[in-house]
Amino acid sequence: MGISICQTPLPGGQNKEYLELLELCGLRDEGDADVVALMTEDDRLVACGALAGHTIKQLAVDTDHEGLGLMASVLSALISEAAARGVHRLFLCTKPDNLKMFVSMGFHAIAETAEAVLLENRRGGIESFLESIPKYEGVCGAVVCNCDPFTLGHRHLIEYAAAHCDNLYVFAVSEKGSMFSPEERLEMIRKGTADILNCHVFESDMYLISRATFPAYFVRDESRADLVKSDLDLDLFCRKIAPALGISRRFAGEEPFSPVTRAYNERMKELLPEHGISFEEIPRLSEISAGKVRELIRDGESEKTKELVPESTYAVIQSRA
Amino acid sequence: MKISKLAVAGTLESSDCMVTIEPAKKGIDLELDSVVIRQYGRRIREVAMETLDRLEVKNARVTIVDKGALDCTIKARIECAAARASEFEGRVSWGGTIR
Repeated sequence: MGISICQTPLPGGQNKEYLELLELCGLRDEGDADVVALMTEDDRLVACGALAGHTIKQLAVDTDHEGLGLMASVLSALISEAAARGVHRLFLCTKPDNLKMFVSMGFHAIAETAEAVLLENRRGGIESFLESIPKYEGVCGAVVCNCDPFTLGHRHLIEYAAAHCDNLYVFAVSEKGSMFSPEERLEMIRKGTADILNCHVFESDMYLISRATFPAYFVRDESRADLVKSDLDLDLFCRKIAPALGISRRFAGEEPFSPVTRAYNERMKELLPEHGISFEEIPRLSEISAGKVRELIRDGESEKTKELVPESTYAVIQSRA
Repeated sequence: MKISKLAVAGTLESSDCMVTIEPAKKGIDLELDSVVIRQYGRRIREVAMETLDRLEVKNARVTIVDKGALDCTIKARIECAAARASEFEGRVSWGGTIR
């Protein structure tokens, strides 16, 4: 039996076999893998797994080959590959039935739904993240935003949210954006909200809307928005993050364009109240979206973004031009 | 041996262990996860600390996920992870002549 690490996309025949094995195990290819580990016996695929950014997922073993420890080999190969790529912080997504096995392989569960569990490779990872964030008095709210870049639309949402609670946590999505780096975006949000005294901006450290907690958000396959699974992300927010920080309100902008974001908002409406957290969708400022700003920058018309973004963001855009 | 970056050695297969070594500010922070922690936990820690001491690793965070490895395996995996995490990366000719 041999194991090999393969770049995606896989060549046709191999890909077909890979998709079949995933389907056999009740999984599907989420389309964001950087590499896959394939274990073969006599040219037949018997086990596989994928590495997508910081997340190990799509782990499957052929039913005839269960109980032979193949999963341990696949996981080892993926962890070594991740280390070679300089990826040390790892998440692992699997079915609840497999939880025990992966706990025995050094992973720690952080979120769970009926269909999936999310684990991380660091004991107390989420806990130390939450300890690093100050706790505030009164009614606390939360906004999670990508802000690629930070626009007057985001500003509008945050202003509204901050006016409707005593203290507002703003979490900046920590994944690489399509244009601005996580550091640039965090800085833009901080500067653009500096005058809102009860607004506190933090990195989300891959625990909120990340490729680990909510991969569909980054794959952006809008045709499959009905399959969008955001429950792990929301479980982590509702059962770990919100209680630790005393968050009882969450705010988001209304989403007229992206079906994926809309599905996420819909799910928040359903799930958050079950955990005693209210959810409010704020009507969007017409004509303003981060996507539109990026388009203008790409088209070399960055001076036209002036009406759409705060001065602090405009300065960043100018410095890039 | 100075640990300057994170490195991994070993596997999670039965009778092996996976060792992760990464920089730490002060002292050795050893985390052990083992299928035989009740029977051999203390012995594994001893082997790990002895090996790190012999390699003169003073400051490191070490994580061992053990799947029932023998002492010699644990030592070998720690040596390899430490070498990879140090300035000796790529310069140890494993199984060959040491110059």
